[in-house]
Amino acid sequence: MSVFDPGRPRRTVASRTRFPGTATLVAAALASLFVCPSGRAEGPDLEPGRKKAQYCAGCHGADGNSQLTDYPILAGQTSRYLYLQLKDYKSGLRKSDMMTPAAEPLSKEDMLELAAYYAAQRPKGPRVAKGEESVPFQPDPDRVEAGKKKSAEVLCTMCHLGEFAGQNEVPRVAGQHPEYVVRQLRDYRSRARTNDAGTMTAVARTLSDEDIDNLAHYLASL
Amino acid sequence: MKQSNRVLAYGTAFLAIALSGCATTSGSEKQGGDKEVTGTAGEKPSAGMQTGYAKVPKPVSQEMLNAALGDDRNWLHPNKDYTQTRYSKADQVNTGNVKRLRPVFVFQTAVVDGVMYVTTSYDHVYAVDATTGQELWHYKHPMGPVTTYCCGPNNRGVAVMGNKLFLGTLDAKLVALDNKTGKVVWQTQIADPEKGYSETMAPAAIEGKVLIGTNGGEYGIRGFVKAFDAESGKLLWTFHTIPDQGTEGVWATQDATGHDMHRDIAAEKAQLAKGRKFETTLGGGVWMTPTIDLKSRTVFFTVGNPSPDLYGAERPGDNLYTDSLVAIDLDSGKYKWHYQYIAHDVWDLDAVSPPILVDAKDKSGTVVPAVIHGGKTGYVYVHDRNDGKLIRFSDAMVPQEGRWTLPSPKGERMALGANGGVEWSPMAYSPRLELAYAVNLVQPMTYHVEPSTYPDGKLWLGGAFKTIPNEPQTGNVSAVDIHTGKIAWQVKTEQPMIGGITATAGDLVFTGEGNGFFKAYDAKNGKLLWSFQCGAGVNAPPVTYMVDGKQYVAVAAGGNTQIDFKRGNSVLVFALPE
Repeated sequence: MSVFDPGRPRRTVASRTRFPGTATLVAAALASLFVCPSGRAEGPDLEPGRKKAQYCAGCHGADGNSQLTDYPILAGQTSRYLYLQLKDYKSGLRKSDMMTPAAEPLSKEDMLELAAYYAAQRPKGPRVAKGEESVPFQPDPDRVEAGKKKSAEVLCTMCHLGEFAGQNEVPRVAGQHPEYVVRQLRDYRSRARTNDAGTMTAVARTLSDEDIDNLAHYLASL
Repeated sequence: MKQSNRVLAYGTAFLAIALSGCATTSGSEKQGGDKEVTGTAGEKPSAGMQTGYAKVPKPVSQEMLNAALGDDRNWLHPNKDYTQTRYSKADQVNTGNVKRLRPVFVFQTAVVDGVMYVTTSYDHVYAVDATTGQELWHYKHPMGPVTTYCCGPNNRGVAVMGNKLFLGTLDAKLVALDNKTGKVVWQTQIADPEKGYSETMAPAAIEGKVLIGTNGGEYGIRGFVKAFDAESGKLLWTFHTIPDQGTEGVWATQDATGHDMHRDIAAEKAQLAKGRKFETTLGGGVWMTPTIDLKSRTVFFTVGNPSPDLYGAERPGDNLYTDSLVAIDLDSGKYKWHYQYIAHDVWDLDAVSPPILVDAKDKSGTVVPAVIHGGKTGYVYVHDRNDGKLIRFSDAMVPQEGRWTLPSPKGERMALGANGGVEWSPMAYSPRLELAYAVNLVQPMTYHVEPSTYPDGKLWLGGAFKTIPNEPQTGNVSAVDIHTGKIAWQVKTEQPMIGGITATAGDLVFTGEGNGFFKAYDAKNGKLLWSFQCGAGVNAPPVTYMVDGKQYVAVAAGGNTQIDFKRGNSVLVFALPE
């Protein structure tokens, strides 16, 4: 049974019981706090990015809240991270059968507009696959605790910022689909993904599969 | 609470409080949303102040800036004066009465005679009445579309000179603000934020010039200190912390304290012979405000780590002038001398805390002009100010076992963690007691290396460092006799210490902790005399000033993202009861 199976029995802790609505509220509050380009007098024009994002909606959702848990939530991600990932897909620094062809025709301007659009959207919380569909993910409190402890030990927030809100080119990972988080951490560990200049490989090398699962629960709980 | 009409009578006392090392990420005003914050004080300002007596900040002359050390009323420079002692001659609050210290007001977002200038994360500046907390104006920097910075969206304060304030920003701009209105007078782009340049330091302002360094050692920048014309913003000179030639240095095998660094010099020389250029990506950020000796017209500053932090194979040589104390000429920006603490650093144990000018005994016992620095290595280094020669280094303030074990892919433990020792936290020096005061982190870590090539604007550590399960992380407050290098007293703290410390003629030292406690110690012996719970991490250096004959002590409780201490957004100001 997958650790992300929505049916997995778990201990219920009243104070940690989460409702889908709460997750959205928290995530939205964080997005407004951390992700909006800070201090900018006027935000960028989101309309060009919104139009271009229609092409991406099939996998990532119209507002970047993907319902397919293999694909990351882009809503509320830092614009700098989104831009650099598109650039890396196009150049081949980051490899993906889906994203390499998708990024290939994009100009720098396209990438910046897409990045600005998704960064301005509100993340609606992590989901987990259930059959062909997905349902809101309920993190396991014990795993959340274990993941929190591991993240403190590994000093994640020195780069990802408090509450994993992300800053600049270091992504927001709070509220991300756990299956996606697990795959990325494993890919960093095995050097299948190296476009971060190796920092995450150095971090992930000492993480066990169990650690990675726990971290995914913790991040999903934020 | 002050009488509203009395405030007008004062000259302007400036306080540039820096939320040093503290990313105050919890307040919405920090994020530059649409909401303008209108200075809410713990005590409401009287109606008279709000309507009839708008206070006008006064200009600050060069004479005032030069005489700042002897000025017990004002706190004009980020670290008190050009020599950066963080020592105030104000002695109204002293070892006898400090236990009666009470909060006067809490400014929720941002305070001097009093106008206090407070900066917050994401480059906001507040001008506030230093006795009541009433806000006079608020500047919110319109951030550019691209920012690239390490270690949190911090700002460590402004420089003041004449009728202007000078602010460095995360998008690598230098902004001059009118001190009366907070309006922009001019701004200039210092360097390219896409390449990892950013500003969190308080600049130094002197004789019509503004001096500022740069962050970016985690991104493969080429570090510098630049001087700009205070009237126009025009660049006057640039000193590169990575010289055009000779970064390989002398192939030092030992650090400043004589410990072997386990370099493979032959392999480095072979790599250098390949001829690959790396000077423009070698790092060497200058994180903190430079120190200025007016007599010899010299600027002193510390230079940060080489890039990438942990992977040294492709940057052979000593990597000058990284991890060094450097002296340059104030007027021309030309090199005078440097002293490198760690050559070819692969641990990020660099030099960041600002230097302090003191008079110290040399090895023969003669008192000479000296400059001291508290290292991430956990030592206080005492140098001859004229040539940079190391006179002595102190007893180690933190455990050192395993030092200079080379990082490996699986990780290697050292008792000395990558945050220090003394991080950015400025030290203080009491000329009365001839003691230097430092706050330290004790965080054993493992150091991990991962080969990596220049990633062009992305974080470039070449590895990672991690704390160790079940090894406690603590800190300490240390007083060091600069004439002998002996630790005069040391108080252990339950958490690592990051922020800063301030000494006064009342024989007190003030410093805060991540757990929210702001404390006063007897500067002679470290006895705890007073503490106050501020509700969020006190991870900023305190300041003290006098308004209308009354001494105030102020500190920001903003927390810290580096160590993940509880964030807040308050400045707390204390005084003795009437």
